[in-house]
Amino acid sequence: MSSSSSSSLPPCPKKMITLKSSDGETFQIEETAALQSKTLENMIDENCASTPIPLRSINGKILAKVVEFCNKHAEVGVDAESLHAWDAEFVNVEYTTLFDYILAANFLEIPTLLDLASGVVGDMIKGKTPDEIRKMFNINDAFSPEEEEEVRRANQWAFE
Amino acid sequence: MAASKEEEELKGSGKRLKCSMTGRYRVVPEDVTPFEEVEGAVEDDGDDDGGDGDDDEQLEDSELPLKPGLFFYPLTPTSFVVSDALEPDFPIIYVNTVFESFTGYRADEVLGRNCRFLQYRDPRAQRRHPLVDPVVVSEIRRCLEQGLEFQGELLNFRKDGTPLVNRLKLAPIHDDDGTVTHVIGIQIFSEAKIDLNCISYPVFKETYNNECEQMRVYTPKDGPLPFVQDQEMCGILQLSDEVLAHNILSRLTPRDVASIGSVCRRIRHLTKNEHLRKMVCQNAWGRDVTGALERMTEKLGWGRLARELTTLEAVCWRKLTVGGAVEPSRCNFSACAAGNRLVLFGGEGVNMQPMDDTFVLNLDAENPEWRRVSVESSPPGRWGHTLSCINGSWLVVFGGCGRQGLLNDVFVLDLDAKQPTWREILGGTPPLPRSWHSSCTIEGSKLVVSGGCTDAGVLLSDTYLLDLTTDKPTWKEIPTSWAPPSRLGHSLSVYGRTKLLMFGGLAKSGHLRLRSGEAYTIDLDDEEPQWRQLECSALTGIGSQSAVVPPPRLDHVAVSMPCGRILIFGGSIAGLHSPSQVFLLDPSEEKPSWRILNAPGQPPKYAWGHSTCVVGGTRVLVLGGHTGEEWILNELHELCLASRQDMDAASDE
Repeated sequence: MSSSSSSSLPPCPKKMITLKSSDGETFQIEETAALQSKTLENMIDENCASTPIPLRSINGKILAKVVEFCNKHAEVGVDAESLHAWDAEFVNVEYTTLFDYILAANFLEIPTLLDLASGVVGDMIKGKTPDEIRKMFNINDAFSPEEEEEVRRANQWAFE
Repeated sequence: MAASKEEEELKGSGKRLKCSMTGRYRVVPEDVTPFEEVEGAVEDDGDDDGGDGDDDEQLEDSELPLKPGLFFYPLTPTSFVVSDALEPDFPIIYVNTVFESFTGYRADEVLGRNCRFLQYRDPRAQRRHPLVDPVVVSEIRRCLEQGLEFQGELLNFRKDGTPLVNRLKLAPIHDDDGTVTHVIGIQIFSEAKIDLNCISYPVFKETYNNECEQMRVYTPKDGPLPFVQDQEMCGILQLSDEVLAHNILSRLTPRDVASIGSVCRRIRHLTKNEHLRKMVCQNAWGRDVTGALERMTEKLGWGRLARELTTLEAVCWRKLTVGGAVEPSRCNFSACAAGNRLVLFGGEGVNMQPMDDTFVLNLDAENPEWRRVSVESSPPGRWGHTLSCINGSWLVVFGGCGRQGLLNDVFVLDLDAKQPTWREILGGTPPLPRSWHSSCTIEGSKLVVSGGCTDAGVLLSDTYLLDLTTDKPTWKEIPTSWAPPSRLGHSLSVYGRTKLLMFGGLAKSGHLRLRSGEAYTIDLDDEEPQWRQLECSALTGIGSQSAVVPPPRLDHVAVSMPCGRILIFGGSIAGLHSPSQVFLLDPSEEKPSWRILNAPGQPPKYAWGHSTCVVGGTRVLVLGGHTGEEWILNELHELCLASRQDMDAASDE
């Protein structure tokens, strides 16, 4: 992020790159903000970013949020506390959206977003029983009775 | 088990809990023992199948939902069994007539056998019925092996195959040496209302019904649930294994990992990965701690170790005999662990002579023995000092009482050096000379010293820090606006990387000096660290476990557990309290409260903080536990926090 404060360079028009979502929406993002994504950084380095970059695994709704996140985190002069509050609000979403963030952050390699969203998921799991976790995340990959017995025996200690 | 604890405590006060079948406790005078009731019941009801009017009512009550709080000493006829614990496989040597009438087995059919045949639906069956909960069975086995009391319920069968709910209590009977000679089993049988033909999973877990239903709904044969189809939903299972493991699972606590590992096949598989389990422990406990535990995991594995250190299920006392000798004999030395080695420095020899020699006990050796370390030069002899370990193999001596009075010098020894040498560290302005202070190490290399007693006999309340990683280590006083009353003989324990818990000691209280039972905390990572008294809730409120508070003490042992909990035992305590009682506190809890940790085995009679240390993160070694004077250092007591890899690791996994 320190790269954005290179004021000694001659002023030049902000370099923008274009991202294209799976459903065809396009988004403009400043290159400095896009550099938070290692994936995009590599593409910029390899001069592949002059045309719109297609992101087939990320839909427009999520991509818009990811761009918003990168822009916020590229802003200069935001104090840590208010950024923290902004982040908390950013991930205050449905859990399905959280997983979309995680998928997008993983694909684009944005560690800050990946950590943020994963942390929230971790907090959601904290202290819950397997049943509660199944309900919360809508998981239906049931065990066979034999497996269930084995699992129960191995993990029983966590519920005592 | 909660009920039994309360029972224990009440026993101490001359009263005993009695439970009624309505689920309420009442306290009965001590002079009525359960066995008198049992005998009475045998005489009254032994010849029929268990019920006059009163009993019927109680039996019906006992079929109410089976809750964890179990109630013994009922007024209903009680079946009981005595097993011989000295013979292999605990053969039955006595059953009463209530047992015979409830189970349908005659005494002559069962004497000499292990009682587990009740888990077989058919007298000729070779293994227990699949509905019998294996968790309970393994818990029974564990309690029997460790000589612990067991309470729980499990499915049994009459001789004719009728299922019965058995609320079972197993009580070990010890002889004068503490050896378990007999186990008494008290059973309250009631009818089990289950249809054996329609369920295929162990019963009597509260969650059973839900899961049974879910299983019926979600069998793979039925295909995915309708509401999942046609929806573009992103779920946790869409994440790749790598993201799931590295970003989600690894940041959970070991307990939460066990929970989510029970959710579905894929996550179960991921959580079984040893590498992930190690990451979990590292994230939860810190690298320093997991580094110290590394050796323990060679056979136990991180998953098992995390479980044991969370549940403390394997905690026990053991005795350990070692060779060699620490001579001349002494007391008031300081001991400290460096890796799997135990190091002892100095002490008070005969005629109060300050000693300056260094001994090592290498517990990795096949037959560990005390050996004197040959060093080129030694710090001045002393006692009442502290010895701490930094950077894995360095030992630091501070303060104590020397030939010329009290000291405030610092010496460091690298145990792994080819020629170990004590080297003095000149650290700017040192704290006042002192003895009987307390010290600990934070972040691997920072020595913290607090309190103690000066030459003039004044107690101190200051806290100093010496960062030994820097080129020129400099003592730094930690200024706090308030400090706990000045004291000596207290303990400092590290938790959460940079937080300290101070407990006990002989503290100034007005004009008096009293043993303290107070706990204080400070976070040295704070910009302006402040001591705070830790309010340990006096009453846990709801339910069974009445509050416990460790009796005030000094020169005790405090052990920091990997998960941030702290154990306290030993020391000098007023009155008749046992120093071997182990207390457990999690200072990071929102409302911390002390618990008693019951450790089976033979505890030491005495345990002093300066002669006890933690080896390899899981072995608390107490020197001189026999006489309290520490002259004999070949008989050690050990509080094992986890199963020993070389002993019982393979028993039930």
